[in-house]
Amino acid sequence: MSSRSTISRRRFLKAAGMAAGAGLLPVSSVRLSFADEKKDFTFAYISDAHIQHIRGTKFVRNWDRGLIRAVAETNLMVPEPDFVMFGGDLAQLGTKPELDHGAEMLSKLKHKTYCVMGEHDYYLDLGEHWSKLFGPQYYSFDHKGVHFVVLNSILTFDEWTHERWPSAEQRMLEMAGLDNPNGSPFMVGEKQRDWLKQDLAAVPTTTPVVVFSHSPIQKIYKGWNFWTEDAEEVQALLKPYASATVLYGHVHQIQYSQIGNIAFQSVMATAWPWPYPESYAHAEMDWPVMTVPMNRADPFFERDATGWQTVDLMKGRTGLNYTLYNNTARTVKFCTKTGRPRDVSYQDESARIPPQMHY
Amino acid sequence: MKNVLAVAFLILGMLATGPLAAAGDGPPLGLPPVPIPDDNPMTPEKIALGDKLFHDTRFSTTGEVSCATCHEKEKAFTDSPLKTSEGIDKLTGTRNAPTVLNAAYMTSQFWDGRSPSLEDQALHPFTNPVEMGLKNHQPILDIVRSDPEYVAAFEQVFGIEGREATMDEVTKAIAAFERTQVYGNSPFDRYYYLNDTRALTEQQVRGLDIFINQGRCVSCHVIEQTQALFTDNRFHNIGVGINDIQGDIPELAHAFLEADYTLEEVDVQVLGDARTSELGRFAVVRAFNDIGAFKTPTLRNIDLTAPYMHDGSIATLREVVEHYNNGGVTNEGDPVNDFLGGGIRPLDLSEEQIDDLVAFMEALTSDELQPPAGNQEVTQ
Amino acid sequence: MWKKYAGIAVVVVILTVAAASVWVHTDEFTGEDLQRWDKEYQSVVAYGRELWVSAELGNNGVSCAQCHPNGANTHPETYPKFQQQLGKVVALRDMINWCLRNPLEGDPLELDSAEMIAIEAYLMTERKGVAIAPGKH
Repeated sequence: MSSRSTISRRRFLKAAGMAAGAGLLPVSSVRLSFADEKKDFTFAYISDAHIQHIRGTKFVRNWDRGLIRAVAETNLMVPEPDFVMFGGDLAQLGTKPELDHGAEMLSKLKHKTYCVMGEHDYYLDLGEHWSKLFGPQYYSFDHKGVHFVVLNSILTFDEWTHERWPSAEQRMLEMAGLDNPNGSPFMVGEKQRDWLKQDLAAVPTTTPVVVFSHSPIQKIYKGWNFWTEDAEEVQALLKPYASATVLYGHVHQIQYSQIGNIAFQSVMATAWPWPYPESYAHAEMDWPVMTVPMNRADPFFERDATGWQTVDLMKGRTGLNYTLYNNTARTVKFCTKTGRPRDVSYQDESARIPPQMHY
Repeated sequence: MKNVLAVAFLILGMLATGPLAAAGDGPPLGLPPVPIPDDNPMTPEKIALGDKLFHDTRFSTTGEVSCATCHEKEKAFTDSPLKTSEGIDKLTGTRNAPTVLNAAYMTSQFWDGRSPSLEDQALHPFTNPVEMGLKNHQPILDIVRSDPEYVAAFEQVFGIEGREATMDEVTKAIAAFERTQVYGNSPFDRYYYLNDTRALTEQQVRGLDIFINQGRCVSCHVIEQTQALFTDNRFHNIGVGINDIQGDIPELAHAFLEADYTLEEVDVQVLGDARTSELGRFAVVRAFNDIGAFKTPTLRNIDLTAPYMHDGSIATLREVVEHYNNGGVTNEGDPVNDFLGGGIRPLDLSEEQIDDLVAFMEALTSDELQPPAGNQEVTQ
Repeated sequence: MWKKYAGIAVVVVILTVAAASVWVHTDEFTGEDLQRWDKEYQSVVAYGRELWVSAELGNNGVSCAQCHPNGANTHPETYPKFQQQLGKVVALRDMINWCLRNPLEGDPLELDSAEMIAIEAYLMTERKGVAIAPGKH
């Protein structure tokens, strides 16, 4: 719980430390120093590993390598991160071998790790094995003056979850297909919204709030479940906050937008990239127009267009430094001047490079 | 008599085609025009000056080491069969001497690309403690400013008075000479670009198919529709050397992340310590993407430049293919390193397919550099 | 004698009737034909979709749809084009085979197989309406 602070936001800031060099040191960033209790800090964010079991002790090597590499690099971070967030979809079909194999790889991380539930983890056994490994499916914690909330935002209608499918395996398979017309839209659900309301009741509106969820807590493209059915209700709960951010996985690509007072930023997958919905000729969707797309992958290089990221908290606002392989690193951070997230290198159309105009 | 003629033919061939390529006869078959910077145009006199500088052993503390010591013309501009090169007093570095052949097409020089050009690259070995060992370039300038042959040459080539010669002119001349060492026109080129179906054996044709498809070689060792550099000019961790020091990577990486070495310091560090050398491109750009990553060398004339890899640790082409076939480890079943490049994976090649691939690579030797017919083994 | 002529007459009548019926239908197809042919086509598109989401196409359980939902980002309208991963100008089906061999760690399809046609039909259908742009990277 942060203390109630009435310190004015208009402060003269002194930059201390190294500036982020594009492509050189993705771990560093502009570090601001403060006299008040909101200290700046950095954490690491790894997401969407999709560990996929083939048979016996064989897993899809490509996704294994992605997670192994992200973990190894996180452990090299200088300075060290305050903690690590795992953004969901550790497994591909939610099986015990997949979750265990993934947990084993995550266990190599040197730092405290929090986990977010993803639909690929959930729909086989409704999170039973996952909870044994990682704990509660939704919770909150405070760190250096920021209130963090973790939501399980990939739930769906009870009928679809409990009655529609003849077996748990079938249910998982149906949810696993991104473009499967038999899928069902994600949601946070009433129970969690009630919990969130209570949880936030004790958090002053001046405290920065950062929400971790797997699905985007906004409505981007329903056909691929880049969607949260009760997004507006959740957003309403965050409305009173001066600084609110949602960090989400699931989309396997760089996205960012601003809805009212809430900044939205997505994280990369370590497994594989997804195309932008606008590249599907028949998609009708509401695209966050500010997003500068990531470079299209060269599928020969299995890590291309995959990656992980460090998140800098500066004055409670987030800046994401994307560690991308075979590509220039990207940094997207909240710009106080424009009041929304901004790519520090490529936001201006004239600054774009050919791979970003390629979809 | 036949042998004498053969050797003479070989030497004449090598001497003749170099400058010819530069004199405007068009690029070699299978290669694009040589990139030539605006501020360093090619002239026969500059090339000859560069050749002389390249071979001058006075530019070392012992007076015994020149560029040609490690980049010997008769050995395809390498010091084969040395794994890592020997400088003054036979001091060894950590890296295998890359060939100068077709280096003109590289967008960076050295195994870790720390040099952006041939001109810049020439500066560094002179002052590296295990190469020529000079403290600085002054001894070189002293010689070129006073030796009458050099004085005359610098005046003719650069229009400057001998005593005004700087390392800028010295390296430009060396680079110009190196730009003449471009060789395409191999049996592969005649097969692929001239549709000469008899240029490759059946086995080599199978090897070409493996190169493009199951072997997955073509994405880094580039062949294109009208030209083939056999390199993508990028940096990849393919699991050579780094596999042995996996536990040391955090310590080595932190040393570089915390220090802020200049390129000269990087040059000394990576050639001075074998473990540090394994960081590869990371030592230069300090990006996680490049841990253990080394530049893709060209495969042209690869049959002439054994041993292989940045540390010379793989002796034969067959063992190279086995390393790739194992998915980035020299001994099958060894653990791959955490930072292995995304393009490396087990290939499931049969023994016969491996032989085919090796046979194909032997077809990448330029006709001008082949031993004359009669000395060649015909493989089927 | 008249049997011979009768035989010929019968043949002539039959041929005339046959010719008449052929003459009536050769140049025209009906609305029903179009509907039927479209159904034939869609059955192949459906097969292509089935293959697209199948975990059995390669050898590691990965399906095409995992990276290409609704065939997105395959850009079938840009073929033939220079394909970096193959080092030359290729057709769509060559790249399909590349994907089968590489991310799916499987075996390539015969270029003229029913499966290859079905996959191409599916991809093209998902991309319907987009202008062709051969050679575009």
